[in-house]
Amino acid sequence: MTHEELEESVPLYAAGALDRIERQALEAHLLSGCASCHSALKDYQSVAALLPVGLSPTSPPRSLKATIMAGRNPAPIPAEAASKEPARPSLEPGEWMNHLFPPVAPARSLSLPWALGLATLLIVAVGGYLVWNFTAQRSVDTSNIQQLEASLQEKSTTLAGMHREVDDQAKALAELRNEMQQRTNEAAEAKEQLALREAELEETRVQLSQQGGARPVGTPQDELATLLRIPNVKTVSLTGSDMAKRAAGFLLYDSRTQKVWLYSVNLPECPAGTTYQLWAIHDKPMSIGIFQMDRGETAHLLVKKLPSFTDAKTFAVSLEPSGGRLQPTGPIYLLSRS
Amino acid sequence: MDKPSRHATSMIDPSLLARVVKGDQQAFSQLYDHSSTLLFTLAVRILGNRDEAAELLQDVYLEVWRKVSRYDVGRGTPVAWLVTLTKSRAIDRLRARAARGYRTTSSLEAGTAAQVSDPGPSPFETQADQELRIAVGAAVAGLPQAQQQAIELAYYEGLSHAEIAARLNQPLGTVKTRIKLGMSKLRDGLQQWWTHGELQ
Repeated sequence: MTHEELEESVPLYAAGALDRIERQALEAHLLSGCASCHSALKDYQSVAALLPVGLSPTSPPRSLKATIMAGRNPAPIPAEAASKEPARPSLEPGEWMNHLFPPVAPARSLSLPWALGLATLLIVAVGGYLVWNFTAQRSVDTSNIQQLEASLQEKSTTLAGMHREVDDQAKALAELRNEMQQRTNEAAEAKEQLALREAELEETRVQLSQQGGARPVGTPQDELATLLRIPNVKTVSLTGSDMAKRAAGFLLYDSRTQKVWLYSVNLPECPAGTTYQLWAIHDKPMSIGIFQMDRGETAHLLVKKLPSFTDAKTFAVSLEPSGGRLQPTGPIYLLSRS
Repeated sequence: MDKPSRHATSMIDPSLLARVVKGDQQAFSQLYDHSSTLLFTLAVRILGNRDEAAELLQDVYLEVWRKVSRYDVGRGTPVAWLVTLTKSRAIDRLRARAARGYRTTSSLEAGTAAQVSDPGPSPFETQADQELRIAVGAAVAGLPQAQQQAIELAYYEGLSHAEIAARLNQPLGTVKTRIKLGMSKLRDGLQQWWTHGELQ
């Protein structure tokens, strides 16, 4: 359409006589900012707006105002309004003014702007629902999280309490353990003391028997049994050499009393003019003592004082001339397995 | 209840709409008093039915209340805006009714004669309203019958020029020319009413 045609269509537009395509063409032209058409339209719109003023006035029902005033908040949209919308495009003048004033219901036409409007409304509605749904869900989630947090807090407190209890019990257990260790130590000490007292008693008994002879002397077995009850006694076993293969012996050392006990069995009888001599060998042999094996004797117990036992690596029994020697000279009968 | 029509319809101040925009209840009440008779008259003229016209007005005023902020004074007077809106919604109803199979109960045939034959003063009209009503009625009545008829078929029944041509069995160009000429004459005859600032 030429501008002249468009301008000529302005009064028809104002009267509402244009069809849809012509109307849209003119509106597009108006939106492009044509000043002369704008001016013409304003005049013709004023004419159109005046036409009903010339009608014989009819007053509305008196109740209408109250109904309208009451109906504004909230502003309802009557349900039947939609169904009363037209089935074909509106052609009346005033579309130009209605650009900023679209109809309540979108049924005027199925043209693109209305379709877009519908789509927008739908998107807004769906968006609104989603936002509402999300908000509701989020509030539920928040509530759940708060509950979980509270529960976690409670469990943490319980766990901390249990930790404290375990710690307390561990401490109590350690104390009990210490106490038990202490009791064990005390018991061992008591046992040791008892053995010591028994040994002293035995010694006293021997001395008494030597002095007075009134009391019976304890057998070597008794002495050995007493010695074996004393803790921390070191033991060294000896075996017979080729000279006396059946012979054996063991040696005990009591560090507290610094005594050495040699219990030997199956050593042959000492030939006349000889004696057995016990040696502690460290760097060089050191005599501990001498003893005799008489006829028919199978076991012998030798008890001697020895200041230091730890240095000795090897112990041996040799047959020496009577009275012993400073260094072993005769054959070895018993030898420790160092 | 307020006196409904003691206000000049032609003198609605745009600032009244500005107050309505702000949610002023009293301003909305005044707007109704200023405009309801004119809009109801228009609705009855288009729909031919008072009950339906009242229903339409209810919708129109609620729409005004909700969307008054969209009124642009640069595009027309408040009265023009209200009339345009009412006419548009009334034509929509008319078409919806036609689409549902109702016969159009147009009062077109008696319309022009009625408004010309009954120009007497209403006890509720202001002097300005009355003068304007007479002027408009005279301007319309002064048109050749063919032009008047073509304009009214377009204006009050929402018919396009092609539909009017078909209805009147006249060439399309003739109908267009009638409408253009008629509107042009009305503009020339009534222009003093807005160029003199009396019609705001």
